[in-house]
Amino acid sequence: MQLARVIGTVVATQKAAGLEGARLLLVQPLRRSGAPSGTPVVAADATQMAGPGELVYVVAAREAALAMPEPFVPVDHAIVGIVDEVAAADSSGPARWERPS
Amino acid sequence: MKLARVAATVVSTINVPVYDNRKLLLCDLVSADGTPAGGYLIAVDTVGAGAGETVLLMDEGNSARQILAARDAPVRAVVVGIVDHVELASPGSGASPGAPASANRTTKAPAARRPRRSRGHGVQGAE
Repeated sequence: MQLARVIGTVVATQKAAGLEGARLLLVQPLRRSGAPSGTPVVAADATQMAGPGELVYVVAAREAALAMPEPFVPVDHAIVGIVDEVAAADSSGPARWERPS
Repeated sequence: MKLARVAATVVSTINVPVYDNRKLLLCDLVSADGTPAGGYLIAVDTVGAGAGETVLLMDEGNSARQILAARDAPVRAVVVGIVDHVELASPGSGASPGAPASANRTTKAPAARRPRRSRGHGVQGAE
């Protein structure tokens, strides 16, 4: 799993069968430092509660579909949790991980 | 499996039910000599690993689900062991069996920053 920031919402009326009702969010994967890593991806929100600006963790690949109510769906990234805090053991910048207020 | 060092704990209240009461560790990937290899993973802890410890990281979904005994869990990365040390065969030694121990370089995992708790498989409660 990787950390990511929710940066937008995706609305699609025409979707593959099985994706009805799925919340689709645009997320920016993050590096360990909190800096963006690569291009944003569209992830299905398995928590049903994530919103723009929030720090989340995302599971990729086949496991993403398992987070959905129906596990055999075409989903390759899923938000499986909303981060409250990254409790760093060293001084590697926990402040950068704080949730936006 | 991958070698990694535990850097932080990820705390979340809102998550998919399978993550309830499981500890999530943010692990920096390290190379064989213990230096950062670039990249990190968030993994479910199954061994009671703590910050600063070098761990064995499984990054494969079927194995993860087997370890967690959860057939349909959306989990891919799991911490499956705590590394005591890594022994590297020195270049040119051929790593032949029976070679003197001095021919090997040993990378000691850095000492943990806190005393270790009792281990054992199974899920550790959130702290």
